[in-house]
Amino acid sequence: MSQRTIELEVLRYRPEQDQEPFFQTYKVPCEEEWVVLDALNYVKEEMDRTLSYRWSCHMFVCGSCGMMIDSEPMLACKAFLKDYPTGKIRVEPLSNFPIERDLVVVLDDFVEKLESVKPYIIPKEERTVEQGEYLQTPAQLKAYKQYTLCINCLCCYAVCPQYGLDETFVGPAALALAHRYNMDSRDLGRAARDDVVAAAEGIWHCSFVGACSQVCPKDVDPAGAIQQAKFAHGIDYLTSFLPGGKR
Amino acid sequence: MNPRKPYVRPISKTSWFMTQSRYKVYMLHEISSLFVAIYTAILIVGLIRLSQGPAAWEGWLDAVTSPIGVIFHLIAFAFALIHTTSWFKAVPQAMRIQRGEEVVPGKLIIGAHYGVLAAVSLFVLILAGVA
Amino acid sequence: MARSAKAVPWFLFAAGGTVLSFILPVMIFTTGIAPALGLFTDALSYDTMSAFVGNWLVKLVLLGILTLACWHAAHRLRVCAHDFGIRADTAVAVVLYGLATVGTAAAALALVSI
Repeated sequence: MSQRTIELEVLRYRPEQDQEPFFQTYKVPCEEEWVVLDALNYVKEEMDRTLSYRWSCHMFVCGSCGMMIDSEPMLACKAFLKDYPTGKIRVEPLSNFPIERDLVVVLDDFVEKLESVKPYIIPKEERTVEQGEYLQTPAQLKAYKQYTLCINCLCCYAVCPQYGLDETFVGPAALALAHRYNMDSRDLGRAARDDVVAAAEGIWHCSFVGACSQVCPKDVDPAGAIQQAKFAHGIDYLTSFLPGGKR
Repeated sequence: MNPRKPYVRPISKTSWFMTQSRYKVYMLHEISSLFVAIYTAILIVGLIRLSQGPAAWEGWLDAVTSPIGVIFHLIAFAFALIHTTSWFKAVPQAMRIQRGEEVVPGKLIIGAHYGVLAAVSLFVLILAGVA
Repeated sequence: MARSAKAVPWFLFAAGGTVLSFILPVMIFTTGIAPALGLFTDALSYDTMSAFVGNWLVKLVLLGILTLACWHAAHRLRVCAHDFGIRADTAVAVVLYGLATVGTAAAALALVSI
């Protein structure tokens, strides 16, 4: 196994002593097959214990280690060092979020938005345990399965210019998750969530830049979810003016 | 005393799109609408001139074929192609068509769109050619 | 938060964008590039054009295309203004949708009098 020295340029910020973030460079001896997260772990264990960052599974399923790697929002555990031939990598916390400390960002805004879209099954009708399980065909599952894969890594928020310009925007992941529930045959559907989703700060704030879907590490395609929601909610809105339409 | 002091990184409201090439591409698509607007205005003026008689119509044709008219239409044509190609590419995302357990592949949808584009274009060109 | 009325201009934008994606390139070529190249001189002559546009079906189709084009461009330019940093969204919307209304009315009036 060969080694390579990687120069990590990391944005640091210690609120108790710094007025502003600043870059600190670490020269890290790395194995060929490492990812950026391995390099960060080496820094923390061997070079600088004060470096703070979130991580957990190291296998791109938990969504904890989202950060800007050479200005691209990625999971640090999915950024393979062999894809950075220059040997110099810039690591910053996710864009569009306030920096808590070093590579840790404040996620409260997203968590509020996630809660606001009611990300759980709202049953069409009350159902008792005695009635047994819901039955769902493979086709019904296919309709929403893709949107269940979101791991809340927030790479989409980091790259969304509309969220960056105006943080009242509900944002890609929350709206994709609303879509996941609206498309689930067990769920009541759009009407249950449209006060948030169909508001001006919901799907209508999206201008289909499409960057979110480009950076999503799980191929959720939030941009697609939002445009599909625009059609559906738009028809709801237009038909609500016809007799018998729901208001 | 609360030691937390979250730091908000400022973003330029007027030049944010220069920071990444994907944003520049997005702005290019959006700006195509400016040329759509101007071309539409030119067409509406053309219809008005048509309603005003042969001399007015010839005047409009002269303006359209003037050097500045030609330059504008060439640029507008380029932006029309930018609009068409980017729009077609976006359709499979915006319109997810599920047949049974499978989603209709994006390439098929986009290919069908180019087919319609070719048919419509050919139709108009033939109509104009034989009139 | 209530359901936003933005659905309406968005649908016009989407319909307009779809129609334009098919028809715009060939229209720009036919009316704006071909005559400079000396092509389609018969088709673009006053007599042929007035006969063509005199047809009620052609009037309907042209009105449809021009109306959708106006509202597509208006909505997209509204979003553009916001992206370029102009924050007075209501004012921008009034101006742009106002212009789209004027365009639609002008197209209708012109078509009716041919």
